[in-house]
Amino acid sequence: MTKNPITRRLAVVAMVALLSACASGPKHAEIQSSIPALKAGEGRLYVYRSSGMFGAAIQPNVLVNGKVVGESKPGGFFFVDLPPGPVEVSTSTEVEKKLSLTLDAGQTRYVRTTVGLGVIVYRVYPELVDNAEGAKAVAETSYIGKPLARP
Amino acid sequence: MRPRVSAAWVCLAAALAAGCASEVQRQSVELVASQPEQGRRYLTTAAVEAQPESGYSRSIRAGTEFVAIGRVAAGLVLKPTQTVLTVEGAHVHEAYAVHRDGQLVGFYLPVERAFAALPKPVSMPLQEKTSP
Repeated sequence: MTKNPITRRLAVVAMVALLSACASGPKHAEIQSSIPALKAGEGRLYVYRSSGMFGAAIQPNVLVNGKVVGESKPGGFFFVDLPPGPVEVSTSTEVEKKLSLTLDAGQTRYVRTTVGLGVIVYRVYPELVDNAEGAKAVAETSYIGKPLARP
Repeated sequence: MRPRVSAAWVCLAAALAAGCASEVQRQSVELVASQPEQGRRYLTTAAVEAQPESGYSRSIRAGTEFVAIGRVAAGLVLKPTQTVLTVEGAHVHEAYAVHRDGQLVGFYLPVERAFAALPKPVSMPLQEKTSP
């Protein structure tokens, strides 16, 4: 451990910043039983971000069809139920990179938000992933969506 | 030019390139039902490496299952059943494979109802899946 008090304080501040940057909600397994069943005529979109310190402080809003539905936080996930049809996912970072996908009634799809290098700063952009990969990743992340009713 | 300055220019160019990718070039098309292929399932028998014009390469593993959902003028439209396909430029678009004469000739973008042609079609051997 360094003996320089300023360096030590900076290290502590950096550590706190990094820890607070990660999602801290309940794990998927803990709230799985509280996740409501899909309503007839709707599809479900899971949005998640894997844990990682790269660009961890960049936590933009996630927009679905132009409406803010949550945040992209390392190690966090949420879901949104939508009527079937075309879906556009984007984030509020420096460079907007939109993802367009289709969603059918009764269908569940997974979108991963990933940190990339932008012109000036990091940016976070959405990617469509297959259900096997998405479900596995979501199982390892924490819920950061709207409060769920108890089962 | 000094090496340090040169490296800085390379980094700046890379950052600009990452932030300013070109739009996926596409044209509106009509997807029409096609008998008798509609609903038939196919498996790729070899890996496919495609290089769309936007510069983001795409690969399809051998053994990937597709279902025929219709035709566009460029060929048969095949939707992946267990995985996802996207094409990427300034934005990312869900995509289905467009197949003709044993080749992947481009991608159908279901949201945009458009066709994005590959500059160079690539071999995409398929085998019809007969068992469920």
